[in-house]
Amino acid sequence: MLPEGSVRADGVWKRFKADPIRRTFRDQSKAIAGRVTGKGGRGHRWALRDINIDVPPGASVGLIGANGSGKSTMLKILTRVMYPTAGTVTVMGRVGALIEVRAGIHPELTGRENVYLYGSLMGLSRAQVAERFDDIVGFAELDAAIDRQVKFYSSGMQMRLGFGVAAFLEPHVLLVDEVLAVGDAAFQQRCLDRMRHVLAQGTTLVLVSHDLAAVEATCERGIWLDKGVIRAMGPVREVIGEYRRSVEAQLDHELHASGALRVTSAVADGVDGGPPASQRPLDVTIALEATERISGRLYLGVSEGTATPIFVVSYWLELEPGTHEVRCHLGDLPLPAGRYFVYAGVIDRVDDHDVVPWHPITHVDLFGPGLDPTPVAVVRLAPVLVSSGWELDRT
Amino acid sequence: MEAFVAGPDAASRVIPNEPPAGSYFKPKLHLISSVREVWRARVLVRTLAERDVRVRYKQTVLGFAWAILMPLVLMVVFTVFVKRFAKVDAGNQDVPYAVFAYLGLLPWGFFSTTFAAGGLSLVANTALLNKVYCPREIFPMASMGVASVDLSIGGVVLAFLFAVTGTVPHWQGLVWLIPELFVMLAFSLGITLLVAASVVYLRDIRQTIPLFLQFGLFATPVAYSLNGITGPQRDLYALVNPLVATIDGLRQSLLFGHHVQVSTFVFGLVGALTYLLVGYAVFKKLEPGIADVA
Repeated sequence: MLPEGSVRADGVWKRFKADPIRRTFRDQSKAIAGRVTGKGGRGHRWALRDINIDVPPGASVGLIGANGSGKSTMLKILTRVMYPTAGTVTVMGRVGALIEVRAGIHPELTGRENVYLYGSLMGLSRAQVAERFDDIVGFAELDAAIDRQVKFYSSGMQMRLGFGVAAFLEPHVLLVDEVLAVGDAAFQQRCLDRMRHVLAQGTTLVLVSHDLAAVEATCERGIWLDKGVIRAMGPVREVIGEYRRSVEAQLDHELHASGALRVTSAVADGVDGGPPASQRPLDVTIALEATERISGRLYLGVSEGTATPIFVVSYWLELEPGTHEVRCHLGDLPLPAGRYFVYAGVIDRVDDHDVVPWHPITHVDLFGPGLDPTPVAVVRLAPVLVSSGWELDRT
Repeated sequence: MEAFVAGPDAASRVIPNEPPAGSYFKPKLHLISSVREVWRARVLVRTLAERDVRVRYKQTVLGFAWAILMPLVLMVVFTVFVKRFAKVDAGNQDVPYAVFAYLGLLPWGFFSTTFAAGGLSLVANTALLNKVYCPREIFPMASMGVASVDLSIGGVVLAFLFAVTGTVPHWQGLVWLIPELFVMLAFSLGITLLVAASVVYLRDIRQTIPLFLQFGLFATPVAYSLNGITGPQRDLYALVNPLVATIDGLRQSLLFGHHVQVSTFVFGLVGALTYLLVGYAVFKKLEPGIADVA
């Protein structure tokens, strides 16, 4: 028997019907007959394949991956809304699910009636819901509107109600799917705060989101789903890093440096042939080949994997046809240990067009200290390492 | 925390094309455990039924008066058209036809409300079905809760009718009331479960529901009495349509003061329980795939 708040999936597979072809009465009845007798039809595709996860109580896990990778299907299986085609799923305790925005919100009922309805769906008694009722109304900022029919709510109000109900009814396991995508910045921040609070109370959190920063800020573990298969699982930073790298690698193939100027090779080294290290200088050597006279600005940036760099430096180039080597000496890098990507691009000043499109040219693994941990639900914009000294005096 | 770390070997493991043969999910029919699960979710059935009752009369002027009006209108229609014009009577008994018809209309109304709303309850509640887990049979059951509210209101109207027409209900009727209503409940729930789950897969059934209800109104002794049918035929009738046992039993005992025909009741009971078991089994069998197609 697992403790309350555990989430476990053993060898979970999920199959969906392939393409909805024309379905006549005969096809339908055949399909039903097949289902009843347990002999499934032939046309199908696997949405999830052999998923094994084991989340202990109180842990927070982020599910990331491209669209159609099976994240939402996995979450639906965890809520027991969907049954897995094969394998077993165990979720212990009360489950609060926030799948799409308005989980379980009924438009014809008032906000108050919805709170009670959702409470009983989660297995709470009326008295238990009544205890938390004021908190929910306060969080959702509904006040008098709580006795209005939900269909007359604005979409923001509906979402606040949905989130408030799911997060305040103190589930043992909270499953959240893409809710932070909607709502204004202030509300998103309050949702993150509330999730942190819920986590502090020992609730297990499974969060599905495309917002990698939010996942990184809220979850300690990450699971990367790719075409229904777990590609990576572990500490959230590593998993997100791997995911970003794969996305970049994919984009890389699509980029073709063509035209008058191209980068033939790029190397990033530490000073004096030593390994690249954080808070030490870095030398980037770029070999260029020009087929005509070029004048433009060379931009060079370092990123965690995406095309969004942490910083950018630039240099004015005047090149004759032929091969050239550009060496860039970066001063002490304020970056923690990890893998970084060096991006480069050349922009023609005359008509502002890309001579060389912005693309990754090489990567570098920095050695050295890591970052201090951030509190849960505090989102850091870029990994900048700043040395700090501390003093504590009694005054 | 350690158990969670499956990182390195998760990536390197080779995943087969199909899950191992033994691991396929098979829906199992555990009668006792599913009944227990429904019992645990009884608050939910109540909440859902309450919701449906409220939603039904929201933004209406007459509100709950509609629950009284519908059977009353049917009763008047029956009294005028069936009794006056078609000369159908209350089975040679010296009782007001209005009360006679109303005793048939109440169980029929219960059944048709449960069936019409409950049969579509899964399709109508896909928003909930796809987001929150609960035993799915509570949706048809909640529809039955709504029908029960109507039935209770109808019961008050019935008492009123008894008083107005000066008819005295017989005491045996009260003894038989519970078993007769049980037959009605079991039959209504069984058929509704069967239809509710099937409709999700085969939406054509939805179109047949009004047709089935019209047919049922004639195939059930609502407007007419059972006097013309006797012996094994009558028992068979009750077996196929257990509402026969309920309606006839209520009239015999409550209105006429006769003894209830035990064989008709037993056949009705057996029929109703069979409908319930078959309906529940089919429902449970179809339940796992509902979220995939709903």
